[in-house]
Amino acid sequence: MISVIMASILAQLVVDGLAMGLVYVLLASGFNLIIGISGILFLAYGQFYMLGAYILWGLMVLFKVPFFISLCVATAVSGILGGITYRLIFQRILSMKRQFLNGIVAALGLLLLIGQAALLGFGTSSRGVGSVFTGILEAGGIRISVERLVLIILALAVLLGLHLLLQRTNIGRGMRAVSFAPDIAALQGVNPGRTFLVAMIVGCALAGFAGGIMAPVFAVSPGMGAIVLLILLVVMLGGVGSMPGAIIAGLILGLTLSFGQYFIGTGLVQILFFAVIGFIVFFRPGGLLGQPTEELPI
Amino acid sequence: MGNLQKNYLSKWVNWRSGKVVRLGILAVILILLPVVVPSPYYVHLLIMVGINAVLAMTFILLLRTGLITIAVAAFWGIGAYASALLVVRLDLPFWLALPASTIITGIVAFLVGYVLVRRGGIGFVIQTLVFAFIISLVFGTFDVFGGYSGIYNIPRPEPICLPFLAPIEFTSKTPYYYLMLFLVLVVVLAFSAFYAAWTGRAWRAIGLSPRLAESLGVNLFRYRILAFVIASAAAGLMGSFFAHYYGSIVPGTFGPFKTIYVHVYAILGGIGFAFFGPVIGSFIMTIVPEILRITREVEPIVTGLVIILLVMFLPDGLLGLSSSWRRPPAPVKNMARIARWIRASLPANRVDSEKMK
Repeated sequence: MISVIMASILAQLVVDGLAMGLVYVLLASGFNLIIGISGILFLAYGQFYMLGAYILWGLMVLFKVPFFISLCVATAVSGILGGITYRLIFQRILSMKRQFLNGIVAALGLLLLIGQAALLGFGTSSRGVGSVFTGILEAGGIRISVERLVLIILALAVLLGLHLLLQRTNIGRGMRAVSFAPDIAALQGVNPGRTFLVAMIVGCALAGFAGGIMAPVFAVSPGMGAIVLLILLVVMLGGVGSMPGAIIAGLILGLTLSFGQYFIGTGLVQILFFAVIGFIVFFRPGGLLGQPTEELPI
Repeated sequence: MGNLQKNYLSKWVNWRSGKVVRLGILAVILILLPVVVPSPYYVHLLIMVGINAVLAMTFILLLRTGLITIAVAAFWGIGAYASALLVVRLDLPFWLALPASTIITGIVAFLVGYVLVRRGGIGFVIQTLVFAFIISLVFGTFDVFGGYSGIYNIPRPEPICLPFLAPIEFTSKTPYYYLMLFLVLVVVLAFSAFYAAWTGRAWRAIGLSPRLAESLGVNLFRYRILAFVIASAAAGLMGSFFAHYYGSIVPGTFGPFKTIYVHVYAILGGIGFAFFGPVIGSFIMTIVPEILRITREVEPIVTGLVIILLVMFLPDGLLGLSSSWRRPPAPVKNMARIARWIRASLPANRVDSEKMK
């Protein structure tokens, strides 16, 4: 009996960890896409995650739109907002000197701007979106919530879509070429400006999608943008710009947090995880699968 | 020939004395400021201007070596917490805790920098941001640091007793202002000494082209960790002053958001100007919102907008507009010149050339 309960708890922890880990993978992939292709350290990325969650909340609670349509709208609107951000701000910065510093600083300004605007617009209280899938799957005494399973399936589907986009389409090949060597890609007829724009749109759409699928699981609040810290940890652990690294590191983070919160406690597991990442980064400055970052002239 | 030399000399003396006169006027203005301003609240703002200016100076110092840090406020906080704990828990006098907390911050910066400064570029930026978050988490989580309610009732500095004068009591804001002025002066003198010496030239070379500097024998890691320790120690010094001036500290003050403001101060003034840029930037960003009466809720939005517009349309800052500050020469075009600087900056080579004479 005890072993069945233990197995059930372990299965739940694994499923929870996988679900959260896949969300981190989604977010880290989008972040990696932006930094790998355009070289912008887009620290305002967490705010697009928050915006996606708020769009879903607004559509589902205020306008009673079905979940999947709301999710599509949240993804699309976040992507479009990302594209507008690129056109308005980063296009100009990328064409000037000291683009690395100015890009970081502009992203930080955007983080401050969107975060405070959300705080003023939506208030400090967190809002709930009712759970969409409520059932519980039971097999041999192991109980798993359907919501987490749907989360995993949706995240996997989108990751597969991202993989196909990057590997099989012309725009994806262009993106990989630009991230490898922008000058040579431009010589081969790839338009770097448009590639940056697409990378930004896809990256921000991924953030909006992740926010959308997380909104029914957790409450929606303006503080959600702080997830950018966890994204940075994943990117640091997996290697800057490395997609396989993001997948491995995201799953590690998800499972560690899920198991650690159950067995150790939230605050301590975070500090422990930071320590482990610090240890890994000390011996592998580029993360698990990445190269050490290039020196950039300021 | 002699005439030419004399002309040159007199010009140099003129320029030199002009600079002295200008600095003298500036000093008189700075000393008279707290007497002139209408209320103690403005003195408080001026003190904050001084603290923020030093933080921006440390950011620029690290930027010169090619490192973009988002952990300025974290080291400011380490200094503040170290000083507050030393005085509150160990009953040390403030005048001992001030240098002690500076040294403690320097040691922490050395240990942290030993892990972080191994690579420049994106990795360093991400790691400093993560470090800044961890520090506010640590301040908030552990009971030693007073949790999220922080440390309060931090005692004032002990009165200074000078012979033949009444003791200087730290009861009003004005003595704090003069103490701030003194500390800023110390930091400026220390920084300019480092800039002028071979360390400064090596830093500049690293900032221009890390690879070229490394190929010429500049030890990137060693010079960068030196810059990291010096900058962080200066931030810690101001942190100690801030803790005893403000009387209470909470972890939220030292989070990464403060560092965004530090970036605004540095860029608004102009990152080409190591000392006047930060002062002007922090002066404008501290005084103007007060004059326009921008509320606390709207203020981050305004700051965010200002910084985005700044990097888009005025990346050289306000001083970059008026002065004839030249951009540093492009590395590829002036390789020979930069190489000469770097060679001159290496202590070993300097000894060799002196021997050859």
